[in-house]
Amino acid sequence: MKAIFIVYNQALTEKVEYMLDRLEIRGFTQWGDVSGRGSVSGDPHMGTHTWPEINSATLTMVDNDKVDVILDKISKMNSVNEEVGIRAFVWDILQSV
Amino acid sequence: MSIYGSAVKKPITTIMVFMAVIVFGIYSLINLPVDIYPEIEFPAITVYTTYPGASASDIEINVSKPIEDALNTVDKLKEITSVSRDNYSVVTLEFEYEVDLSEAANDIRDAISLVEDYLPEDAEKPMIFKFNSSMIPILMFAVTAEESYEGIEKILDEKIINPLNRIDGIGSISLMGTPIREVSVDINPRKLEAYNLSVEQIGGILKAENLNMPSGNIKMGQMDYPLRVEGEFEHSDYIKNIVLGNYNGQVIYLKDVAEVRDSIKDMTIDEKINGVQGLRLMINKQSGANTVKVAEEINEKLEELKKDLPADIQMQTIFDTSTFIKGSISNLTETLMYALLFVTLVVLLFLGRWRATFIIVLTIPISLIVSFIFLHITGSSINIISLSALSIAIGMVVDDAIVVLENIAKHIDRGASPREAAIYATNEVWLAVIVTTLTVVAVFFPMTMISGMTGIMFRELGWIVTITVVTSTLAAITLTPMLSSKMLKLQDKDAPQKKFSFDKILLPQFDKLDNWYGRVLNWSIHNKWKVTISALLLFVASLFLAGSLGTEFMPESDEGRLTIAVELQSGTRMERSVQLARQIDSIINKYPEALIISTSAGADENGGMMSMFRASGSNIINYVIKLKDVEDRERSVWDIAESIRSELAVFPEIVNFNIETSNSGMTSNTVDVEIFGYDIDKTTYLANELSDKIKQIEGARNVEISREESKPELRIELDREKMASVGMNTASVATAMYNRVAGLTATKFREEGEEYDVVIRFKEEFRQSITDIENTALFTPTGKIIRLGEIGVVKEYWTPPNIEHKRRERLVTISVTPYKTSLGELANSIQLVIDKADRPKDVMINVGGAYEDQMESFADLGLLFLLSLILVYIVMASQFESLKMPFIIMMSIPFAITGVLFALWITNTTISSISALGIIMLVGIVVKNAIVLVDYINLMRDRGIDLDEAIVISGKSRLRPVLMTALTTILGMLPLAMSTGEGSEIWSPMGISVIGGLVFSTVITMVIVPVFYRFMAHKGERDKKQIVRTKFKFMDM
Repeated sequence: MKAIFIVYNQALTEKVEYMLDRLEIRGFTQWGDVSGRGSVSGDPHMGTHTWPEINSATLTMVDNDKVDVILDKISKMNSVNEEVGIRAFVWDILQSV
Repeated sequence: MSIYGSAVKKPITTIMVFMAVIVFGIYSLINLPVDIYPEIEFPAITVYTTYPGASASDIEINVSKPIEDALNTVDKLKEITSVSRDNYSVVTLEFEYEVDLSEAANDIRDAISLVEDYLPEDAEKPMIFKFNSSMIPILMFAVTAEESYEGIEKILDEKIINPLNRIDGIGSISLMGTPIREVSVDINPRKLEAYNLSVEQIGGILKAENLNMPSGNIKMGQMDYPLRVEGEFEHSDYIKNIVLGNYNGQVIYLKDVAEVRDSIKDMTIDEKINGVQGLRLMINKQSGANTVKVAEEINEKLEELKKDLPADIQMQTIFDTSTFIKGSISNLTETLMYALLFVTLVVLLFLGRWRATFIIVLTIPISLIVSFIFLHITGSSINIISLSALSIAIGMVVDDAIVVLENIAKHIDRGASPREAAIYATNEVWLAVIVTTLTVVAVFFPMTMISGMTGIMFRELGWIVTITVVTSTLAAITLTPMLSSKMLKLQDKDAPQKKFSFDKILLPQFDKLDNWYGRVLNWSIHNKWKVTISALLLFVASLFLAGSLGTEFMPESDEGRLTIAVELQSGTRMERSVQLARQIDSIINKYPEALIISTSAGADENGGMMSMFRASGSNIINYVIKLKDVEDRERSVWDIAESIRSELAVFPEIVNFNIETSNSGMTSNTVDVEIFGYDIDKTTYLANELSDKIKQIEGARNVEISREESKPELRIELDREKMASVGMNTASVATAMYNRVAGLTATKFREEGEEYDVVIRFKEEFRQSITDIENTALFTPTGKIIRLGEIGVVKEYWTPPNIEHKRRERLVTISVTPYKTSLGELANSIQLVIDKADRPKDVMINVGGAYEDQMESFADLGLLFLLSLILVYIVMASQFESLKMPFIIMMSIPFAITGVLFALWITNTTISSISALGIIMLVGIVVKNAIVLVDYINLMRDRGIDLDEAIVISGKSRLRPVLMTALTTILGMLPLAMSTGEGSEIWSPMGISVIGGLVFSTVITMVIVPVFYRFMAHKGERDKKQIVRTKFKFMDM
């Protein structure tokens, strides 16, 4: 089991949801209206007057074999237009109930 | 869920909501009446009291004064004026515009009931009536006839007036100058005396003979017969054969002592239409009825009715107020359509996409239609004000939709799905959109609170613009995202570009423009002192220009109608006036522009009500001249009036004349010099002296003194002792003289259901001189004949025909109309004349009239301007969370004023309430431009870009949106400013000032505002980081 944390421009919400559905990933946790900025490039997404764009975040726990598929799709999604912005981070799940 | 979110997610609901609005709007539009101005109830109430037989000065003391004193304390009274004339007094109370007149009328009634007992016994009960627009005729026809002339009243009554009266909304139909049939018995007093008969005796005999009377019933056999005496004259011819009595055994018939004529009553008025004998038919509407609708129905019905008239009766329209209204409105509607077209083209030019243009332009009809709902609910009409308001709004309502759509398009271009882009892009800008709308509302909403005359005119404008702009914002954050989500598509960047595409032709041009502007900005912020000083110089120069511009209250409009009142020496007999009228007719006939000339010389006895509004008398000739349509003639109504003026000035007989070019009453345009003073001789002298001097002033026309010239009158002064010795008294002599000169209405002659007076009086040749009067034979109670000269003398006197009061003091008014000069200038030169004149100590002189209204109105507008500025500041200060930013932005306002002044100067337009209103509207529009720019500079600064660079980047990026909003507004107003048709004089100044102001201020704003930004934002913004650093010291410890 791995945890994947996906943060993305709010404008990608539908695409992310669609991706999860297509990959038959049922479970996830989602936060709307989260702000943040990238470590390297891109405009901050702060939801303020200065930086009006804002992010959503999705945390989903998937089987190890699905991780690569997801990351592949996300990187494709990102390549459509990198200005929009989507990032995914993966970490191990040690235990769950 | 946010409003735009729901709108995008429920497109059907959104469409349905707007459909509902459109349906209701169209329903309202269909039911909206058409009128020239919003309904204005002139806030005045008139108290009319008759006191028969009293002279003007008696009336003043015994009637006018007590009534004035009683009414002076009525609530919310603005001004009280009165005119006392022979036989009647008119007291007029003017109220503030907001007053409920029915309530005021009640107060007046109460107050009058208190003084009624103190009025002279013979005075009639005071009548109270409200003056309103329905008292001005909406239609006037000229009726000419040949053979049918004598019976014309009856024909018109049956065939025209009665059927027309059935139309809903008609107040009254009246005829002027109708011949009235009368059976006149013209007595030869010499013969009468010979037979020892008196006028009263003949009257008694005629009355006794002209009688039908039931005399009971007779039972004969089985039947019951009613018995009647039938003595009524069956034919007017019988009258002359009436037996008056026996004299020395000889029967005396009426024909022996008198001539009996069944003809037309002696006319006191002579009506000619284009030189042909005729009369005028006037139609008034009921108060509250719609002029256009009533006039349309009348004209329709009249076409039908005309067929039944005898062939020699012709009817022509002298004026029809509805044509001017319809002309103006259709002109404005056309203007509105052009505005819509121009705005669409501008949007298309800047966006280069059909679908986007469609979405944006769709907000126009929706926002405008809501204003129709507003008009319908408030019971208003489609009028000049409401349509101009729509013209103003048309360029502004697209702004919000443009901002929203541009952001959505940006997101779609970046690859978001249209649906998401619509929601999230709107989310980013909706607050900013609402705030910019607020600044516009801050300017227009205060307009709804102005009071007075200006308020009536502009309240509706304020409401409409506020409502449409708010609606457009609502549409921009619901309908625009919804439609964008459905209609906008990602443009394929890889697809081959078409040869004539927007991207290929216009885009490079816009980019060039952006770059050029970037360079200009860069130069300006590095030469900020030069730029600032030259801008200031320009502003100061324009203020000097303001001094040379004329001012007026409301622009006058060419309605294609002239009214002329020519006054001859008072006391001139009507026949002489008619002769002169023919001479003047021939002069006016030479004007090819004159279509119909209606002349009336003398006064109509029955037109008593009319005489309240305009002077009439045997020495007055009134003209109503209808000119060709504005489009079909080269000379304006003012030029023609001026030319007629110079021709009339040649006649030595003409004491005074007055040519008016407007009859709507709304746009009175005179400077009134009010001379207060008790002594009639002194004030009259002063008024004459001043008016002679004022006539010398260039541009002063129609110089008129309100106090009419004293008119000669003959008074019979009776010697009471002599009268008593023959057993007579004043009353019996007065009645006898009335019967002999004015005539005794003995009885009525009936024919075909109509009644005609039978009037006995002396033949004209026996009542033509003072000697004739003194020779008049009177019968003493003992039956002896006595001459009037034996008991009294006839003397000639001069009396003032009218005494006017204002604020309960006697006054004379000199009214002056400006020609090719402005009201303000004229008032100034008149003031100079007054200052030079030496005035008696107890006389007070005041300059008022439309000039006073203008001053009041300008003061109101000034206050409004201030209020708008404060509100705009408040809105902006809270938007930017800064006290400084609003100042930078508001720096663009002075240059808007500069632009307006230049535009007015170039087009030779005066500063009127309308163009002043243009300036106020500019506050909102101009500021909006500056906000867009400053907001973006702030944004760039916040994103960490250097001040200078931020200014240049923002300038380049915001140039197109600013140009676009400015251009939509400018082109939206352009048709308004350029229109030349009927009524355009009223609204074109507003178009001119807004365009001038906007062009100038847009150019200046784009340079001056960044420069000021650089001045003012320089320090504070740069030190922001330093301040934070000193605040959070823990990092550097």
